[in-house]
Amino acid sequence: MNTHGNVVAAEHKFATKSELDLIKAVQGGDKQAYNTLYHQYIGQVYGLCYRLTGEKALAEDAAQEVFIQLWRKIGNFRGQSKFSTWLHTVTSNVTISYIRKQKGWVQKMFNIEDSAAMNEEADASSSSVDLESYVVRLPERARIVFVLHAIEGYRHEEIATMTNMAVGSSKSQFHRAKQLLEEWMKDE
Amino acid sequence: MSKARIEASLNEKIAELKKDKQPERDLWPGIELAISKEDFSGLQHSRVERRKKYLAVAAVVMFGFIGWFTISPQFVLLTGDDLVASLSAQHEAQKHELLVKLRSQPALTENWQDQLAELDDAANAIKLALENDPNNMALLKMLQSVHQQQISIIERVHSPKWSQI
Repeated sequence: MNTHGNVVAAEHKFATKSELDLIKAVQGGDKQAYNTLYHQYIGQVYGLCYRLTGEKALAEDAAQEVFIQLWRKIGNFRGQSKFSTWLHTVTSNVTISYIRKQKGWVQKMFNIEDSAAMNEEADASSSSVDLESYVVRLPERARIVFVLHAIEGYRHEEIATMTNMAVGSSKSQFHRAKQLLEEWMKDE
Repeated sequence: MSKARIEASLNEKIAELKKDKQPERDLWPGIELAISKEDFSGLQHSRVERRKKYLAVAAVVMFGFIGWFTISPQFVLLTGDDLVASLSAQHEAQKHELLVKLRSQPALTENWQDQLAELDDAANAIKLALENDPNNMALLKMLQSVHQQQISIIERVHSPKWSQI
């Protein structure tokens, strides 16, 4: 048992070390290493982008933007936290700012939320409707807050800073999202 | 379903949620293209920056030379007879300007013009000596000293009495 524990710890240490080597190579401008890093993390990045944007095409563009920004910012990573945690923050910030840029001027001026998605039926390809298809139907602000707080574990204070909204608004958006999801699930 | 059950089900779904999701299209070519363009423009940018630095250095050097030639032409461009002529011309201009400026003020002594004339004679004697030895630094310094004495006399005799106390 103890030997197994040591092996697991050693494997984890090895993985961390090889990842750090990879990151150092990327910091040195190695594009091949960056391609490896991309394949390692695209699932995590795209998954978060998709839940935040609620649209496949927008999520793909946002994920590309994340990896372009990451190439510029990776020099700032000093290894003080886990790379995945750091990348997570970069992804959230870049995607939120990407969503803001993509919003039309009408939405910007009148703060109209897209309600079309709300009226769409959830993807019922599987017998049990999965949470993700509900989440992407949520209105934009409620969706972002729900994803960041309930799924990704950010505090409302952090979300408020990331999204430029008041802490109270973050909390009320979260309750709104929860209410909508529970309502939809009731009809399941 | 009861509210509590729905909430429990929601929490269950959140816990079960698979976070990784693969995009339908390959995003790497677009990323690679963007970062390659960035590297190229970065390279171009650094080239432009380097060129700007060279231009700035060249401009500083050029202005330095121009400034040096403009500010001290007598020491750089002129030698011998030309230098003496230039020093004399500059002194005459300075003396004339000072006399015009102090014209309205009464002179404190009667013989200040005689003193100037004596110093003029001394300057002429030095200039004569410089004709034979135009680059003699000792003679050039003496000439400058005589000129300076003339300026001092003009200023002194025209300054108000209270400033001499």
